[in-house]
Amino acid sequence: MSVRLSLRNVSKTFGGPRDGSGLLALDSISLDVAQHEFLAIVGPSGCGKSTLLRIAAGLMEPTSGEVEEGGRPVTGPPDRFVYLFQQYSKSLFAWRTVLENVMFPLENAPRARRAELRAECRQYIRQVGLASFEDRYPWQLSGGMQQRVAIARALAAKPDVLLLDEPFSAVDALTRMELQSLVLDLWKQNGFTAVLVTHDVDEAVFLADRVAVLSARPSRISETLTVDLPRPRHQITTREDGRFLELRHHLMSALLGDMAAGAQHA
Amino acid sequence: MPERILSRSVGLASLVVVTLLWELSARRGWVNPVLLPPPSAVAAELKELVVGGEVLNPLSHTVYLFLVGYGVASVLGIGLGLWMGCSAFADGLLEPLVELLRPIPKSALVPALFLFLGIGMATMVTIVAFAAVFPILINTYQGVRGIDPVLLETARTFRCSRWRTVRSVILPAAMPAILTGMKVSLSLGIVLAILAEMLAGLNGLGFVILDSQRAFQTRQMYAWIVILAVFGAALSLLFDKIEQRAVPWRGQ
Repeated sequence: MSVRLSLRNVSKTFGGPRDGSGLLALDSISLDVAQHEFLAIVGPSGCGKSTLLRIAAGLMEPTSGEVEEGGRPVTGPPDRFVYLFQQYSKSLFAWRTVLENVMFPLENAPRARRAELRAECRQYIRQVGLASFEDRYPWQLSGGMQQRVAIARALAAKPDVLLLDEPFSAVDALTRMELQSLVLDLWKQNGFTAVLVTHDVDEAVFLADRVAVLSARPSRISETLTVDLPRPRHQITTREDGRFLELRHHLMSALLGDMAAGAQHA
Repeated sequence: MPERILSRSVGLASLVVVTLLWELSARRGWVNPVLLPPPSAVAAELKELVVGGEVLNPLSHTVYLFLVGYGVASVLGIGLGLWMGCSAFADGLLEPLVELLRPIPKSALVPALFLFLGIGMATMVTIVAFAAVFPILINTYQGVRGIDPVLLETARTFRCSRWRTVRSVILPAAMPAILTGMKVSLSLGIVLAILAEMLAGLNGLGFVILDSQRAFQTRQMYAWIVILAVFGAALSLLFDKIEQRAVPWRGQ
């Protein structure tokens, strides 16, 4: 398996990096993501998960350490990396219809290809189950539907790597499960590499091939766990699988133990 | 809905009552009818101005003056506001100048401008534009600054060029704020257009209002004021319609 994305000793300090008074958020994190892998990163809230993902996406610079994708150093958002934001409603363009939002990544293409690309975008909209909503505006849709629009727009950019920043944390439980299954289907069909950041252990185990656990601040990777559950995964049966419960138990103990230790220190 | 109809009809009723009171006080001689002629007399004068086509020349002068000045102010205000909002360099360069010029009552500059540009259209357009540019500029700037970082990062992750980000993301995202500024400038622009016409004394609604006052033709003066009021109200109404079309997501 070839390495698609690689972090080497990535540290991030917020504020006053020179005089040492800054807040160390990420402490020397090294992580490899294989091509086509689904990696989940879990950790307690405020541990710097999103910071790590933003650094991987080229949206933020690490204080020290290197990020490489396909052997090239990352200095800005790399081509065909797409970031799916937690705040989908702020990430969508309110003045554009669903179809126009999804068209956004393709608008640098020559005019002659517009009709063809439009058809392609309609296909992505169908894939996320919004076929009859393509002429609506984002603010006319529910939260779950808005995140579907953001997913369709991400697909239009033909991502090679999809970075998911707690994308389902702002929707209700049932919608969350629907969206998880949707992302798994799309991951299988479209063959991208996925990196998910979440505080939801069940979500991480359900979706991922591998789960990396971040400790409380300053964050390090305390362990990496391979999720040896069969695919395709099913929202009901997979979650009842004994192995699922074992993995969940292990991760929960790691996270809660970490939090308890943090509380004792404080 | 019925509540809206009720409040509308109460508002309309108050208008009718005030007009009736005005009519009554003029007829009964509570006020000097030469200084304040009854609405019926003003209406007759108004009808004459409109039917005779006399209204067209001053009105078109004012409309032209306003539109040119407002247009210049919009282009300049949106352009500079975007530039200052997007570039720390432009912000640092222009912010002190804007803050210095902004509080000056623009009407105070009319006599100075007459010295440089002469008594004519150039001065009048300049003064309308100068008055109208600041609310548009400030609101555009604040609109750009208030854009959610997530939106800008979305543009970055799709590897938008700087120019495309400004055109396709920043400008439309700041549009609600820009239109708020343009709405404020609308009334400011009209005020300064009328004032400039009064001072330049050549043509336009401002000129005819002052001119008829000086000739003691108070009926005509009030008729022109009514025309000006209708013009202002129509412009404001038109603007609201455009705004509803342009930013339907506002308040959602």
